[in-house]
Amino acid sequence: MLASFGEDFFRALLQGTPPGTVYALIGLGFVLTYKTSGVFNLAFGAQAYISAAMFFKARQDWEWGIVPALILSVFVLAPLIGLTLERLIFRNLRTASAVSKLVIAIGLSVALPALFELLANYKPVAGRPPTGIVPDGGSVFYDPFGIYPFSRDELAQIIVAVAAMLLLGALFRLTAAGLAMRGVVESPRMTELAGIPADRISALAWAISSMFAGMAGVLIAPRLNTLISTDFLTLVIIAMAAAAVGRLVSLPRALVGGMALGWFIALFNTFLPRWSDDYTWLKPFQENLTPSLPFVVLFGILVFWPAIRRSIDAADPLAGVDPPPPALASATRHPLLTLQTRAFGVVFFSFIGWVAFTQADVRWVSLLTQAVILATIYLSITVITGFAGQISLCQGAFAAIGGFTVFQMADRYEMSVLLAALIGALIAALVGALLSLPVLRIGGVWLAIATLAFAFFFDAVMVKFSWVGGGSTALLTGTRVPRPVLGPLDFGASDRSFLALAIVVFVIVAVGVIQLREGTIGRTLRALRGSEVAAESIGISPARARIIAFAVSAFIAGLGGAMLAMQQKDVNYGQNFTPFAAMFWLVLVVSLSARTVEGAAQAGAAFVLFAPVILDGTFLTWLPFITEDNLPGFFPIPGKWRFVLFGLTAIQFARHPEGMVEFGKRRATRKRNERYYARDAERAAQAAAEAGMAT
Amino acid sequence: MTDAPILELTDVSAEYGPFRSLFGVSLTIRPGAAVALLGANGAGKTTVARVASGLVSASAGSVTVDGTDMTEARTYEFARAGVAHAPEGRSVFATFTVEENLTLSFRRALGRSRVKAGLEEAYSLFPRLGERRSQTAGTLSGGEQRMLSLSRVLVEKPRLLIADELSLGLAPIVVDEVYETLATIRGTGTALLIVEQHVQHALELCDDVALLDHGTIAWEGPASEAAEVVVTHLFDREGS
Amino acid sequence: MTAILESSRIAKSFSGIQALTDVSIDVMEGERVGLIGPNGAGKTTFFNCLLGVLTPDTGTVRFHDRDISELPVHKRAQAGIGRTFQRIELFSDTTVREHLLIAERVHNERGSFWKDLIGRGRPQADEIDRCDAVLELLGLAELGDEPVEALSLGQGRLVEVGRALMTEPSLLLLDEPSSGLDREETAALATTLREIQAEKGFAILLVEHDVDLVADFTERLYVLDFGSLIAEGPTAETLQHPAVRTAYLGTLEVGDQEAMP
Ligand SMILES: Nc1ncnc2c1ncn2[C@@H]1O[C@H](COP(=O)(O)OP(=O)(O)OP(=O)(O)O)[C@@H](O)[C@H]1O
Ligand SMILES: Nc1ncnc2c1ncn2[C@@H]1O[C@H](COP(=O)(O)OP(=O)(O)OP(=O)(O)O)[C@@H](O)[C@H]1O
Ligand SMILES: [Mg+2]
Ligand SMILES: [Mg+2]
Repeated sequence: MLASFGEDFFRALLQGTPPGTVYALIGLGFVLTYKTSGVFNLAFGAQAYISAAMFFKARQDWEWGIVPALILSVFVLAPLIGLTLERLIFRNLRTASAVSKLVIAIGLSVALPALFELLANYKPVAGRPPTGIVPDGGSVFYDPFGIYPFSRDELAQIIVAVAAMLLLGALFRLTAAGLAMRGVVESPRMTELAGIPADRISALAWAISSMFAGMAGVLIAPRLNTLISTDFLTLVIIAMAAAAVGRLVSLPRALVGGMALGWFIALFNTFLPRWSDDYTWLKPFQENLTPSLPFVVLFGILVFWPAIRRSIDAADPLAGVDPPPPALASATRHPLLTLQTRAFGVVFFSFIGWVAFTQADVRWVSLLTQAVILATIYLSITVITGFAGQISLCQGAFAAIGGFTVFQMADRYEMSVLLAALIGALIAALVGALLSLPVLRIGGVWLAIATLAFAFFFDAVMVKFSWVGGGSTALLTGTRVPRPVLGPLDFGASDRSFLALAIVVFVIVAVGVIQLREGTIGRTLRALRGSEVAAESIGISPARARIIAFAVSAFIAGLGGAMLAMQQKDVNYGQNFTPFAAMFWLVLVVSLSARTVEGAAQAGAAFVLFAPVILDGTFLTWLPFITEDNLPGFFPIPGKWRFVLFGLTAIQFARHPEGMVEFGKRRATRKRNERYYARDAERAAQAAAEAGMAT
Repeated sequence: MTDAPILELTDVSAEYGPFRSLFGVSLTIRPGAAVALLGANGAGKTTVARVASGLVSASAGSVTVDGTDMTEARTYEFARAGVAHAPEGRSVFATFTVEENLTLSFRRALGRSRVKAGLEEAYSLFPRLGERRSQTAGTLSGGEQRMLSLSRVLVEKPRLLIADELSLGLAPIVVDEVYETLATIRGTGTALLIVEQHVQHALELCDDVALLDHGTIAWEGPASEAAEVVVTHLFDREGS
Repeated sequence: MTAILESSRIAKSFSGIQALTDVSIDVMEGERVGLIGPNGAGKTTFFNCLLGVLTPDTGTVRFHDRDISELPVHKRAQAGIGRTFQRIELFSDTTVREHLLIAERVHNERGSFWKDLIGRGRPQADEIDRCDAVLELLGLAELGDEPVEALSLGQGRLVEVGRALMTEPSLLLLDEPSSGLDREETAALATTLREIQAEKGFAILLVEHDVDLVADFTERLYVLDFGSLIAEGPTAETLQHPAVRTAYLGTLEVGDQEAMP
């Protein structure tokens, strides 16, 4: 018994080693990029994927040898991508906030693979497993202990991981470049004051870290059955636990963290099923926790790893050289201009309203409704990210809670769905508040990752429960949700009436959000975002403010999710609320404008209407002479180009971190604003002169 | 060309986005000269120092260092031309250790082989830094961080040393020390541009004074005549 | 007069560095007390221990006869301890007036989530008036609508002082308020503080390297060196203490710079 325990234990360790190495490689990559460029590079997976796919294509389609394929994919393509990203995007973001950098990285993790697949004409083909960088990597095995065989590929991974750790460690410790790279991350200006060209150093940093990403990708690829970019993203998210153990600065710890993660998961999977045979109360844990174990571990590490809470913030001491960020356009607008804008708004929305309620067909009404509801959900991002400055990547889960509550309440108790929507929003708020408790002390990117871990946990575990997602019955019948009926008003009878309801809900929430921004809560959150120590020193409780922000944000998301479920008459979790969808939401809202209600509204419109209106070329048919039959040939634009546009958006965002809408508004109104103010000043001067003459 | 000014600002204007803070400032510093830059709060002293080291680029006018036009140059080119700037406040790499902070700068300024000697010199100048050489700079006390920031430029003995708010946050006994060192450095041919709120010390060290007011040079002249002007200018602003 | 702040035997070490050793400092009601010492003596650390930003290894803090050693930072602030920071800490992306408005609102506790929702959360006229009065006192009236990033160092300092004053503290901890201010402004700040203090009667604990300001402004003085008190007593006498001269003052003659107008 004991002997077999020992052997199983040992086997589990060996078994956990190869996946552990993968986590370690990615963890090392994270630490490397973070140290040398200050970016928490979620696009690491995308970069790794591209090199892996390039290598694979060169080997299989072009039948290149291993060495030239490796050179092309890892030593040419990968650094090239890194240099391009540095030049076009990250150079402009050096002093930007962690939020902006993370948002860009998320955007890139979606855009890069699509771009590559378009340009290289690469399509993942199921069942064509990638090969590695050593001949016969997957078929020759070594079994040093006689209980678990390692493939050549796995050995290559282990060797490269350890070698990389040593080499990169030496780079940081022994060379001037290592110190300079860290310096540029912390303060490009101070580094330049020391006579070091910051641009060149950060280009070098990107080249090196991208090369490492490429190497990791090529090494990891043989572990996957089919090369698909999202698999890389999931791996990256799990491997963040390794980077977290290394606190994003220590390479050896990231290596150990990655291995430990692999071992832990293997041990868990070996022993829990066995114990749960003996102890039945372990059974539900085993069944439900196993798929989400990595995310639970990640969350646990983030919350309990003490070093993560208090790492000294490395604010650029020379930030004072920058001019202050411009105030919100609406804050500096001349009253006359405000009046004009409002008038335009009234006309514009009356027109849209007229079209929607009298002209549009069922499809357009439903699209519009969806846009309005998503805009409502996006207001939850406005609160948590725009006001509180915190990145939450689990807004999808909050919205899903709203949707599922309506489904459950209606399904089980035939409760009025409007009431159920409110209850759902309240439950979401409660979950949000509870979630905010363990993560109160962590901030910045770590909070983002913790919320992401929660989102994946929700996705992998909670949704499967029958009291949440309906369980197996939902597979057959869907998670059906009726439309609300309010006295004589039946919102199910006509889609237009439901659109009206959605608009009413949006307006109420939007007004509430604006009131919060201008009121005590908004100011308190702004103070906290500006300087937590200073906020505390005047008596602000950060914990309370953060809990409120989380709860309010989750409430709004839950309400929106409930509305979406009612509109679609089904929760449609897989389409609407997955973690990936939520990541997309965040990027969209932040890059348009996270701090204004307009930003959320435009993001809602963009998310829903961009494809049918622009990509399908429909907008052209609204012009005279063009009908669906004589549309230019390149319409409808294939879906992948959407991601490329998305990438361009990211580049724009890098230039204008306040959000493109904000930027556009400011630019559009500046001239007139100046003219009006100048005229005011002139009049005042004239009046003063006249008054002077009079006396 | 030994007599070419090490720094020459001609009609320099500078702005931070929409905020204009220098309006045509001209200033000349000859090799080995010591200039004190005085002026009230918000007068633009820091901005002049930043323009002189390339941190802020002039939106009008020209900047020459050692006879070469550097108006468009990047900050690191200023440093390579021999301008060393200790900015105001805590200007250290917070996540670096004390030693790494100094090493980063010394490697280029002194050359790889002389980094050790440079470190020793810095530690003998400020023994406190020597005791804390492997402490993370971000956890040093305010004054210790100032010492670190200053020791960098003091040890490098550049062609032009710019120190902003020199004595800010330093104990009097340390201020004495710093001024003594500056006097010695001057002897080796380094030119100084000193920004200082506490006028007395600066006037003793420097031979020329430039007085800034609302982004323009209000008065320029030898330090001996300055005391009176400075006092009237600074203290009777309302009266004048 | 009664002591409003009694801190006893506070000690703090950072991984081997003993930053404070058994420091006991009391402040009486309405008193102006100075705390000086060489760089790295532990002054800022002491402030942080008083306020709970750091947890002291040993020692207790009593404020208004109440043990506040276990309270979190914001509770201590609400109890009436205001502070400024040695390294300036302002709310980025916020105008000068808003700084004070936020502090005012936190202090008067008028804000609530529900009030916000019905639109009663915006600054009220009386709050704005109070803020403008303080801005006026500090000579910042013209800068009210500037974003704080546009301020010079000295102007930023004054904003910090103003923000702390809005919470009407009964004890104000000032960490090098004059650094970044020129002599005239330092003098003006001292005068202003005296005026406000005379009106509101709060006590001040001042950390400062401007010895003239300390000599002129404080009534009593504590001197720290290497984390321990080396002298305390009435300001003028304490400054003459030989240990203080060797550890801190050097050749400086107190009052040898231009006299304050
Ligand atoms: N980053 C910035 N953005 C906008 N305006 C700025 C910025 N930095 C400084 N200013 C403005 O430029 C002017 C000059 O500032 P500067 O910092 O040069 O003054 P200073 O003479 O150094 O003052 P102090 O003695 O207070 O340090 C000030 O009015 C200030 O408000
Ligand atoms: N987190 C920390 N880790 C290690 N040492 C620290 C830490 N914080 C402070 N110290 C050390 O404790 C000592 C006291 O620091 P403190 O900031 O209190 O000094 P101070 O008296 O305010 O000095 P100054 O006048 O320079 O501001 C310093 O030597 C500092 O290096
Ligand atoms: Mg300055
Ligand atoms: Mg201090």
